[in-house]
Amino acid sequence: MRKTLVLAALLATIATPAAAQSADQQLDALDARISRLEAMNAVERLQKTYGYFVDESQWVRLSELFTEDATLEIGGKGLFLGRHRVLEYMQTAFGAEGAKDNVLAQHMQFQPIVDISADGKTAWVRSRAFVMSNAGWGLPLYENAYAKGEDGIWRISRLSGPFTMYTSGEGWGRNALNNTWPDKFDPPPDLPPSTVYLTYPAYYIVPFHYPNPVTGNAFAPDYAPVGAYFRPPGTAEQAEALTIGRLADGTQPIAEPPRD
Amino acid sequence: MRRVILFALACALLPVPAIAQQSTEARLAAYRERVEQLEDADQIENLQAYFGYFFDKGLWSDAADCFAANASFEYGQRGVYVGKERIRRALLLFAPDGLGNGYLNNHMMLQPIITVADDGRTATARWQGMVMLSAPGANGVWGVGQYENAYVKERGTWKISKLHFYVQAMGDYDLGFGRGPIRMEGPSALFPPDRPPTEVYRAFPSGYTPPFSFVHPVTGEPLPVAQPADSVARP
Repeated sequence: MRKTLVLAALLATIATPAAAQSADQQLDALDARISRLEAMNAVERLQKTYGYFVDESQWVRLSELFTEDATLEIGGKGLFLGRHRVLEYMQTAFGAEGAKDNVLAQHMQFQPIVDISADGKTAWVRSRAFVMSNAGWGLPLYENAYAKGEDGIWRISRLSGPFTMYTSGEGWGRNALNNTWPDKFDPPPDLPPSTVYLTYPAYYIVPFHYPNPVTGNAFAPDYAPVGAYFRPPGTAEQAEALTIGRLADGTQPIAEPPRD
Repeated sequence: MRRVILFALACALLPVPAIAQQSTEARLAAYRERVEQLEDADQIENLQAYFGYFFDKGLWSDAADCFAANASFEYGQRGVYVGKERIRRALLLFAPDGLGNGYLNNHMMLQPIITVADDGRTATARWQGMVMLSAPGANGVWGVGQYENAYVKERGTWKISKLHFYVQAMGDYDLGFGRGPIRMEGPSALFPPDRPPTEVYRAFPSGYTPPFSFVHPVTGEPLPVAQPADSVARP
């Protein structure tokens, strides 16, 4: 299938020798390539700006980065639907606009893998943040989607920020915080979490939006009812982990056996 | 390979744009300008990274050479040093030339938002700065802050025309920011700056937002900030 596609693609581009292509055809191809690079930059810029706005509690400006019908899901809190709910989530959960004394919540954004759709109107990013805060350290991951509007402007259409690890100032060797859950803090979500998973020290892979860049093989996520792995998929340990339920109150104590 | 597919599909699906009506020369000129914008941003990103790697290792002379002749350098509340030679000397206030054993001076620079001016001659950028420090006999130190820098293209080469690192928090390695915050250093008495700090503020636990140089990527509006009150600096 892949090879067929590649062949078709090659035929499409080389069937007409460059010399036989009109200048306008060559320029159209050049325009598409430049546009793709510009789109990648625009999408990365959106994600970086999101990070800077989180750092400084710029909630109204942050919400303006989203499409009207965007979705937001962070940690195990559940899904928020629409730009107005994105704003409500941030303002209710994280306090008033602007910098405040005794609050430090830097969400450094890096390591983006950006993909742009063939029609140049949709984009996906896997990236990460390192959180340095007054309370400790954190590692959110992102698998986000972006949409280019009729106005030619890119916006975030889906922000998905599952947690890898959160810890207090003691560090992840001695302490790990639980994933969040829908009623841990206000406001309540519109929908329950799309995926139930445990954070470190449990092992959970957030599915990749892209295949392996060299082999082209797609990652096969495990759709078992409990999305908590503590060993890679396919191992006996992982299969056993799937039989352990998530705790109803969302707790996930490190170095303690699970409670019912 | 995937990119080839995507690209080929993009070409196949792209409607013939209105721009096709333009002359070949006009289109080439427009595309050249767009490519130059991309290249300028890449060169600025690299320049800042070059500076960062020199700064980490106390290669002060190499670090100073990244600046334009009349550039300015400002770090936290140390004040503003103006001119490449003044900057070269001021950098020695951080540590001896070439550091030495027992020093760690890592200033990671990431998350750049680069804005190149339409004429392609100047640019600004915000960077996230993550800091890990150590000096002989002292405990390790964590730090975080943002850079708001400016750049100028001289004879085809980008140089730093303004470097301003807004330290936001420094903290003891073991205690962290919450329990072991460290104050910023003030202007040096040994080698005083040319100007006082452009903005007076305190690091964590006080709140402060380094001003944004870029405009909102969706609304295009500038991003002025309201700072929290400070009993001394902003009563």
